Amino acid sequence: MSSWLDYTINGLIVGNVYALVAVGLALIFGVSRLINFAQGSIYLVGAYIGWVAVVQLHTPLPLTIIVVAVAAALVGLIIERFGLRPLQNSVRIAPLLATIGISFVLDQLVMLTFSPNPRALPSQLPDVRFQIGGGTIGPLDLLIAGVGITSALLLFVFLRYSKLGWAIRATAQDRDAAMQMGVDVNRVNQAVFGIAAALGGVSGLLVGMYYNQIDTAMSLQATLKGVVAEVVGGAGNVPGAVIGSLLLGLVESYGVAVFGTSYRNLFAFLLLVVVLVLRPNGLFASARQAPPEPLTGTFIAPSRPVRIPRWALLVATGIFAVLPLLPVSFYVLQTLINAWLLGMLALSLTLVAGTIGQVSLGHAALLAIGAYTSALLSLTFSVPVGLAIIGGGLMSAALGTALISPSFRLRGHYVSIATLAIGEIVSLVILNWESVTRGPIGISGIPPLSLAGYELVSPISIYWFSFIVMVVLALLQGRLLGSHLGRSFRAIRDDDIAARAYGLSLNRYKSLAFIFGGFAAGVSGGIAAHLYSYINHETFNTQQSILALTVVILGGLGNVVGAIVGAVALVGLPEVFRIAAEYRILIYGIVLLLLVRFRPQGLLGTM
Amino acid sequence: MSNIDRRTLVKGSLAAMMAGAAFSRAAFAQSSEPILLGVSGPLTGPNAQYGTQWKQGFDLALDEIQAAGGINGRKLAYSFEDSQSDPRQSVAIAQKFVSDPRIVMELGDFSSPASMAASPIYQRGGLVQFGFTNSHPDFTKGGDFMWSTSVSQADEQPLLAAYAVKRLGLKKLAVLHLNTDWGRTSRDYFVKAAKEHGAEIAVTEGYIAEERDFRSTLVRVRDANPDGLILISYYSDGALIARQARQVGLKQVICAASSVYSPKFLELGGEAVEDVHVGTRYFPEDPRPEVQTFIAGFKKKYSGLEPDAFNAYAYDAMNMAAAVVRIGGADRRAVRDAFTKVKDVSSVIFGKATFDVESRRVKGAMNAELVVRKGQFALWDGKPT
Repeated sequence: MSSWLDYTINGLIVGNVYALVAVGLALIFGVSRLINFAQGSIYLVGAYIGWVAVVQLHTPLPLTIIVVAVAAALVGLIIERFGLRPLQNSVRIAPLLATIGISFVLDQLVMLTFSPNPRALPSQLPDVRFQIGGGTIGPLDLLIAGVGITSALLLFVFLRYSKLGWAIRATAQDRDAAMQMGVDVNRVNQAVFGIAAALGGVSGLLVGMYYNQIDTAMSLQATLKGVVAEVVGGAGNVPGAVIGSLLLGLVESYGVAVFGTSYRNLFAFLLLVVVLVLRPNGLFASARQAPPEPLTGTFIAPSRPVRIPRWALLVATGIFAVLPLLPVSFYVLQTLINAWLLGMLALSLTLVAGTIGQVSLGHAALLAIGAYTSALLSLTFSVPVGLAIIGGGLMSAALGTALISPSFRLRGHYVSIATLAIGEIVSLVILNWESVTRGPIGISGIPPLSLAGYELVSPISIYWFSFIVMVVLALLQGRLLGSHLGRSFRAIRDDDIAARAYGLSLNRYKSLAFIFGGFAAGVSGGIAAHLYSYINHETFNTQQSILALTVVILGGLGNVVGAIVGAVALVGLPEVFRIAAEYRILIYGIVLLLLVRFRPQGLLGTM
Repeated sequence: MSNIDRRTLVKGSLAAMMAGAAFSRAAFAQSSEPILLGVSGPLTGPNAQYGTQWKQGFDLALDEIQAAGGINGRKLAYSFEDSQSDPRQSVAIAQKFVSDPRIVMELGDFSSPASMAASPIYQRGGLVQFGFTNSHPDFTKGGDFMWSTSVSQADEQPLLAAYAVKRLGLKKLAVLHLNTDWGRTSRDYFVKAAKEHGAEIAVTEGYIAEERDFRSTLVRVRDANPDGLILISYYSDGALIARQARQVGLKQVICAASSVYSPKFLELGGEAVEDVHVGTRYFPEDPRPEVQTFIAGFKKKYSGLEPDAFNAYAYDAMNMAAAVVRIGGADRRAVRDAFTKVKDVSSVIFGKATFDVESRRVKGAMNAELVVRKGQFALWDGKPT
């Protein structure tokens, strides 16, 4: 039984580490109702500034912490002033996209400055260990716990008893009312970003020292775990974030204890989904607390979509249809094939996120389900590839809708977080369900695309195949949006209470949207599987989900043509910037930020 | 290819004519322009560090090749396209290389999903895909244009098992492995070989690449009561596991696969990696001339930096590419055929590398049994730790 004590202690130790990030996220969410995807990047910046201080300048620990906190706070202020403040009157989803763009830029800047090689960040504390149970803890464990708990307490007191704290909470509750009462909302936001960034930077430093290792890939993981912990504790609830983190650490540790290491994250994300379904406001929300999301759909503000004349669409379709007959290289065709595949995924997501307002951050899971189904059907059961791809689409529609259905009662950001978790769960199930998915080894030798017995192997035939499938899906979706079904979807997005009062069954319409969307995404995944011939659990990862969402927001939420234009842009831009080698993702991030800044409603506008 | 429709055929022949025209232009300029290799690998994204290490190895090898007169009087050069180890991008790069007549062969990609997704395009396009870190057992099964000098895990893991079980005398093992296609394949070969040597496998634990906290995993390991820990890890996660194992009080012998062989392992692991045993393919004091040239050249070019396993793979790969192109010239099919002809290419990893034409891989990697002593890799002196 002593092992259980050890598992408990280990869970608390790692929960401690998550808490540092979660507190910063909670603070920002509490005020701005924004999941700050750049928090992990600030954590990364903090770790590297700490490395410079410790290894190059040999600063003592207290000074290191101050240097890192100040520098990170500055980064936070810059982000707030130039990245987010210009967006405060635009669509609520624009700042979310901006933080994603900012995180690209920051991660790339760190990588270019310090090279992607991991570095050692030696701890400056004496190396003494205290025996607890079967293991030991060191002074750094205590320092991390101290910083986490102290900062949470200080913030709690600050928010509750100081004047600026009141202003922050007032802004959180009702921004417009706070402004009318004379609260300088911008100053409040600045304070919040400064504090959260300082915390984020210090946590990067301490965690780096804890593992004696920092590298540029640590930012996304930190954000993911921080978001889980924060939401479990109740989004925006600072002490809740600490308890949520500890709980997350414990669940992971017990998961490892019972089922083994490869199930660890599965438990983390299952915990999140269960908490979201049972207590959507987090474990520690009080019953009389106002719901953290507004009741009606201001999450996606309607805008006037750009009207594209029918003849222009026809001409564009015609040009792309005859493109392979013109002297263009196979490289261009292949890039466009990627764009059409991403376009199908974006069609799916723009329906789910834009038309009915369920912003999904786990859409790559639908690709994976479609891809695995199609690959296994054609390999194991010798189903013809064309049919297998349709099978993949159907499976994605059925399984995707079934997985998401418990989260139908969630709103706004909570849908995104639930779908993020479901996406991770699907990927981990693929990794662990070896008898079906072949686990990490993946599936190789998937037969190439074929239609009625003819193999489609040349880039030209694959181009036409994927283009036609995408156009058909787009036309279907256009029909759908014009029908009464489409109007019902938008009614639910714009005001779900009014829609319900009008007699619309929310769950039924949400299911319908996910069934249609799941099919399109599954078909895209199926085609990709036959195109690649090899897939494993890493082929369709979180980055793809984020990319898909970026495409959809860029094109204009709910906008069918916009989804395709966005897909071509986001597949094309990194290829165009190839000439810039290592700098291309940095340029891509900056272009993304500029687009969000000047077209927050998307290139073609929300439909 | 009877299954292509007529339009495709017309277009295909048009493309072929254009490519032919471009090709003859290239042929005119032959004497002055370098022979170009395409490299598809990660320069940004989560695996960017490995792409950077490849570049170091490539550049060193190219310096030596150029100094020795290049390839029949022409220079050898590479064009590195960043794929982020993402299959979507590696397939686009594959088309780019296939349709660029200057490229005579391709090297990479890094991860299996990215490499093997591009294989059908290279195979159909008739361009060699030379994957020098692709240990996935199915990689070279993608077609006769897929060749690999990645050490087969069927070769490497029995060597590690022999080191751990026969030489170090470990009888009850805990295996921790990266839960990727590489880690999983390696684990299976290791477990099989270790059992043949009479060892018992107490527990195996697979962890994902982003994992940083191993304390709970190590409690499982402790409860299985092994007398040795086997790490099938890369250097960064290997160092994390070793540190945390010592922190939670595990004092067992640790024995790690060659992929941890890097100065970074020592830097990141600190005191915790002292006395860790590593089965590698070469070591700094190795008297073989190719190893000494490599290490001395590397330190000179990169101001004292010690090369690691991935630098060595890339260095070997570029030398192999040079040897192949020397035989095959600038014709893609001849380059493919040259892989069957090339013999005894001097190699850090293999000593002398010759392809097994059947499997399109190289067999017989060198073996060195190292241990970390006083913060340095040293040849194991046979003394127990």
